[in-house]
Amino acid sequence: MKHKEMVYLTPMPVRIWHWLNAFGIVTLCITGLQIRFPDYISVFGAYKAAIRLHNTAGAVVSVSYMLWLMYYLVVAKSLMKLYMPTLDDLKTGIFRQAFFYFLTYFLGKPNPHHSTPDSKFNPMQKATYLVIMFILLPLVIFTGVLLMYIAPLRELLLLLGGIKMLIGTHFLLSCCFTAFLFVHIYLATLGHTPLAHFKPMWNGWEEEEIDDGSEKTR
Amino acid sequence: MRDFTWKTVLFLAFFMMMTISARAAAPGNERCMNCHGHMDIKGPAGMKIYIDPVKFAATTHAIVGCTSCHDRVSKGHPGDRYNPPRAACGDCHKPVFDEYAKSLHASKAGCTGCHNPHEVRLPLFVSGDDINRKCARCHDTRKTIQSHSTWLPQADLHIDSLPCITCHTGSRDYVIIMSIESRLPGSRNDFKISSYDELAALAQAADVSRVIDLNNDKLISLAELRDFNHQLRGRNMRLWGMMVPETVTHSYQILDNRWDCSFCHASGPKAAQKSFIAFPEKNGGYTRLVVEKGAILDILYGTPDFYMLGTTRSTPLNIIGALIVAAGLSFPVCHGFFRFLTRKNRKENNHEA
Repeated sequence: MKHKEMVYLTPMPVRIWHWLNAFGIVTLCITGLQIRFPDYISVFGAYKAAIRLHNTAGAVVSVSYMLWLMYYLVVAKSLMKLYMPTLDDLKTGIFRQAFFYFLTYFLGKPNPHHSTPDSKFNPMQKATYLVIMFILLPLVIFTGVLLMYIAPLRELLLLLGGIKMLIGTHFLLSCCFTAFLFVHIYLATLGHTPLAHFKPMWNGWEEEEIDDGSEKTR
Repeated sequence: MRDFTWKTVLFLAFFMMMTISARAAAPGNERCMNCHGHMDIKGPAGMKIYIDPVKFAATTHAIVGCTSCHDRVSKGHPGDRYNPPRAACGDCHKPVFDEYAKSLHASKAGCTGCHNPHEVRLPLFVSGDDINRKCARCHDTRKTIQSHSTWLPQADLHIDSLPCITCHTGSRDYVIIMSIESRLPGSRNDFKISSYDELAALAQAADVSRVIDLNNDKLISLAELRDFNHQLRGRNMRLWGMMVPETVTHSYQILDNRWDCSFCHASGPKAAQKSFIAFPEKNGGYTRLVVEKGAILDILYGTPDFYMLGTTRSTPLNIIGALIVAAGLSFPVCHGFFRFLTRKNRKENNHEA
């Protein structure tokens, strides 16, 4: 016998950041596509409009990233707990989760990870978000800022190998983010209903299915 | 056919006359330069009458000869204090003169405002930086950047990478001209185009193109370019590219299509295939060597510091990027496919539709 329980998983500041970030990154990907391939893509009309929008979205994502970092570091003080994989996560957790996504999910077995406010992410999520939030996003912001101010930051550009090195890094990072978006959105549909993981990102509450035999499923 | 023959004969006759007059003009030039080629020469009322003999020798005007323009030098010159008149530029350059006369700039400056007739060269022998320096004599660079910043993103970078005439004349057929620039070790000052002497010391040869063109075939290959760029690191030198028109006009105007960034940035990679390296010469001019086709589009080390958004994108990098995106996209597609096939398993276990 199963019953449903509501868990408050995502506080409002995190939800605001998430959607601001999501909107910003999608805007960056589309405008970035027009900036790189203007002879094929013209979603935002004028080239300059795409550049201005790209720069603005970049600034929004950068500021929201700083706010996210400050919130988890200073207000919630749960950054390490939520995002840093434990030794157990690295030794077995990641493989257990991957085993679920690539095999036992198809056999109808339940998700081995159950979200709680103190442990929102499964080991694979932790490792992925750690790489994205602490390596890829800061890198894409850093290269983006340098490319926005090429002449004033010329010395730094020279030190890092020139404009092409930065453009190449920025472009490949943006491709990684685009790839991540596809995977991220798809994995979010793997809850006990396709929208189960989207709801907590909107109102904060996640509906958990609790088995009376103490077995939880998602 | 007969018409063609007459035109050929006339052309050859004109060419021979020019050659003869040029040869005849050389001794005349020498006579003039004996006095005017000395830096300490002074004209009446502080008038500048010194002519740099090295720079003058490299001009087309030196071939024509001093007396072609200054044709009424008196026998008593310079003792009679008679100031010989000068020919008007339009006497020989009528089409250019007429074109310029109709332009917005004509009321602001005459021909000599920009072109010193004793130093003027064909565009082929001038760097983009030289052109902008002429403009900057009247148009203060700082103010120009400020005025362009109101509508042009990264105006400072654009002004550093384009001769003004690229947008402000009807000039066309753009190519990328790269110059070797340097600055003092440890200096944070702006880079300046390396002088002939600096490059001659680097090349350890009189032919400064040898700093890049190692096999001396007068063609810069991509491999040579990459090698050179690797060597530049840590030397306080860089290869700086500018987009320069090949066909130059004097129709100074503010062209509507230059407000549209896509004029340059959406011209596609095929537009950026043609590039040159401009090597300085002793006489202050430049010699261009052709760079292997498509070098500008090289992924990293062909031109590490030259990139035009949208136009000089690298195809191999695009392919790598597309593979990354495709890998991301393949996960939902493949997983979703098996998810659909195995949906009954999850319904039986009563979770996830």
